[in-house]
Amino acid sequence: MPSLETTFCGVRLESPFVNGSGTLDALVSGTLGVAAFVTKTVTLHPREGNPPPRIAETPSGMVNSIGLANPGLERFAEDDLPRLAELGVPIIASVGGWSPDEYATAVARVGAHPAVVAVELNVSCPNVESGCISIGTDPGETRALVERCRDETDVPVLAKLSPSVTEIEAIATAAAEGGADGLVLINTLRGIAIDRTTLRPLLGGGGGGLSGPAIKPVALHAVYHARAATGLPIVGMGGVAGAADASEFLAAGATLVGIGTALFGDPGVVERTSAELLADLERRGANGPGELVAVAHPPTSTSSRA
Amino acid sequence: MLPRSRSLAVLGVEPAGAYTLLRLRRDGIDAGVPGQFFMLAADPAPADAYLPRPISAAWADEEELAFLLDIRGPGTRTLAAARAVNVLGPLGHGFDIAPGPALLVGGGIGAAILPWLVRLLPGAGVLLGFRTEAHAVCAGFVDPDATVVIEPELVTEPLARLLPTFEGTVYACGPDGMLGAVAALAAEHGVACQLAMEAAMACGFGACYGCAVKIDGRWKRLCVEGPVVEASRAVA
Repeated sequence: MPSLETTFCGVRLESPFVNGSGTLDALVSGTLGVAAFVTKTVTLHPREGNPPPRIAETPSGMVNSIGLANPGLERFAEDDLPRLAELGVPIIASVGGWSPDEYATAVARVGAHPAVVAVELNVSCPNVESGCISIGTDPGETRALVERCRDETDVPVLAKLSPSVTEIEAIATAAAEGGADGLVLINTLRGIAIDRTTLRPLLGGGGGGLSGPAIKPVALHAVYHARAATGLPIVGMGGVAGAADASEFLAAGATLVGIGTALFGDPGVVERTSAELLADLERRGANGPGELVAVAHPPTSTSSRA
Repeated sequence: MLPRSRSLAVLGVEPAGAYTLLRLRRDGIDAGVPGQFFMLAADPAPADAYLPRPISAAWADEEELAFLLDIRGPGTRTLAAARAVNVLGPLGHGFDIAPGPALLVGGGIGAAILPWLVRLLPGAGVLLGFRTEAHAVCAGFVDPDATVVIEPELVTEPLARLLPTFEGTVYACGPDGMLGAVAALAAEHGVACQLAMEAAMACGFGACYGCAVKIDGRWKRLCVEGPVVEASRAVA
């Protein structure tokens, strides 16, 4: 009988399934079956977020412009983290900022909490004017940011990358050179929705980030090439709504699989996908999800550092 | 923390003037209280209506959960054509029924959530405003004795005449502009007022942060804070 147990960057988890940052508030709904809870990105100062409308449905997906709404580092660390820790699920804390120092301050603070098993550097949010995504589209800035943050904590540091770049390999390699322990791929694709009646941008923030099944092939491509370029362990996500999608991400080179937009319409999706993957592994004669990781790659292209 | 999502059979789909009445077999699910909402999606959901829609029930009884739909796009269109509907809920905070006289105010499809409240508040005054006669047909579902106005007359006009002598609670649902006007009138006359507000939502349970509404002067998630909010907290 196979098991879903998965080790990621030295952290043992009950399954390979996590939520995408900003797609689940465990303090409102519970953790809905994820093996580790990824927090909404926290920034040094509180952010109210962008004016509505913030979401628009598009074919097989949605565009969002939330704008990193969060209570700020102080309140997050004092109020939210202790309550999240009580839920009994390991926490991956996502942090964002407008300078390496802001990121480093947040990494040191959240990384010190015993329930936090890894820190995610969000260098790819499409919905803020500068900071974040401008770092994640420049290899030099990405390398410098990871270097600056790596020594601020003892837990693994992950870089969450944007697909809205010309060469994902260059950014992934820069993150690896900076000392990233793992990668998270992909954040939303930059997108825009136009109101068919007014012919003006539909979202209050103008543009936004596209997620959902529509972006899955883009995400698989990014995971595949980031894995080939770096060998780093990867949290793969983008349009996952079931075990078939999850297996594709594992095969492309992901060790963990994130579920995001699918949670919105189906809060049971993680539990269902976990059960489906277990049955799928048994059918394949595999003992665990690790046996599927990177099998889509030619035998010699990947040197795993997981 | 979160109710289980359930697929409920469609008992009937009937025209109600410009709106559409969707009746689902309740099948024992918790109906909650008036003003709470459910996330509804056709089962199976088509690719062009990937996300569920937040809709409050028109009424609930032992056998059925009923929703009045304003068919505007692919989500509501596929709901009206579905044989089964995935239902997650009840979600959010509904009306907090206060002792004493009640005045119910509905504008457009906002009237859709009042029939259930009328059943729980017999004797309440009911004021409804609609764009056209065709939209006003649904007033019959709410209360045959309701005061109904059609544009250009606004529902706030009869409300303004009643409030100077009214002591009780106003319960209102409708478009933002109407809710803002109702809230202002209630404040002017020192009358308690609860607003059932609306926002686009992808999830309904705090995950997507899509349903931002100004509450207490800040953008907050309507699914968590509402959808029924004390008028004094909302800048509609």
